[in-house]
Amino acid sequence: MTLSHCIALSLILCGIGLFGMLTRRNLLGILLSVEVILNGANINFAAFAHFKAADPVAGAIFPIFVMAVSACEIAVALAIILSMYRRKKRLDVYRLEELNG
Amino acid sequence: MTDILFYTMAALLVMLSFFAVSLPNLLHSATALIGSFIITAVLYIMLQIEILALAQIMLYIGGIVVFMLLIILLTTGLGGVDDKLGKITIGKWISKGAITALLFTGLLYFFTENSSRLLDTGASKTASVTIDQIGVRLLSLENGFIVPFEVVSLLLLAALVGAVVIARKDTEKKEDLS
Repeated sequence: MTLSHCIALSLILCGIGLFGMLTRRNLLGILLSVEVILNGANINFAAFAHFKAADPVAGAIFPIFVMAVSACEIAVALAIILSMYRRKKRLDVYRLEELNG
Repeated sequence: MTDILFYTMAALLVMLSFFAVSLPNLLHSATALIGSFIITAVLYIMLQIEILALAQIMLYIGGIVVFMLLIILLTTGLGGVDDKLGKITIGKWISKGAITALLFTGLLYFFTENSSRLLDTGASKTASVTIDQIGVRLLSLENGFIVPFEVVSLLLLAALVGAVVIARKDTEKKEDLS
C-alpha cells in the first residue's frame, strides 16, 4: 500500500464516475456518479496527507469540507428534483429542453 | 498482510462503484454506493485518519445516501424501478466509454510521465492524524481553518433555506407561468 496505489485507485474511481455521468439519463444517477468522483478525490487527499504531507492535519481537514459541501449540494438537489418531478413527472435529462443549453 | 487487504478493498471499491453507476435500478445503485462508502471508510482507517472514516459513515452513509434513497422513493414510486429512463443503447454506451477511456489514458500518461515530480521519494514518512489535532486546527486563529469553517456553516444555512424555498408548494397562488 503506497501512495501510487492510492492515486491509481482514485484515478479509476474518477474514470468510473465520469463514465456514469455521461451514460446516465436520470438526474439522480448523475448525482450519484458525482458522489463517486468526490469519493475518489477524498481518497487522494487522505493518501497524500498520510504518505507525503509535512502538514497531515490540513490534508485531513479538506475532505471534511468536501463532505459538507456535498451534503449542501444533495439538499438543494433534493429540492430541485422534487419540484421538477412535480412539474414534469419525469427526471430524464434528455427531455428537459426548457433551458436550451 | 496490509497489501492483501488493500488490494481486496480496492477491488471491491472499484466493483461496487461501477455497480453504482451502471445498474439500471437506482435503488440497487444506491445500495452499492453504501457499500463503496463503507469500504472507503476502511481505507481511511488503513491510512490512519480515523476521523475521516467516522465522518464518512456519519455524513455520507447516514446523510447523503439516505437523502438519495428518499429522493428515489419519492420520485419513482415505491419500487424505485425506472428501467425506461435508465435504458441506454449499446452505441451510446460504447461512445461514452471511449470518451472516458480517452480521458483516463490521458491522465494516466500525465501521471506516469511526471511521476518523479509528483512522487518524489524525499521526506516520505507516514503520519497519523488524531481527532484532537483536527479539532484544534479547525478552530485555531493562526494557521487554522476558522474562516472556511464559518463559510461552510453559512453555506449549510443557505442550502437549507434554499432547499425549502425551491421545494415549497405554491398553495395560495395557482399561477402557471410555464
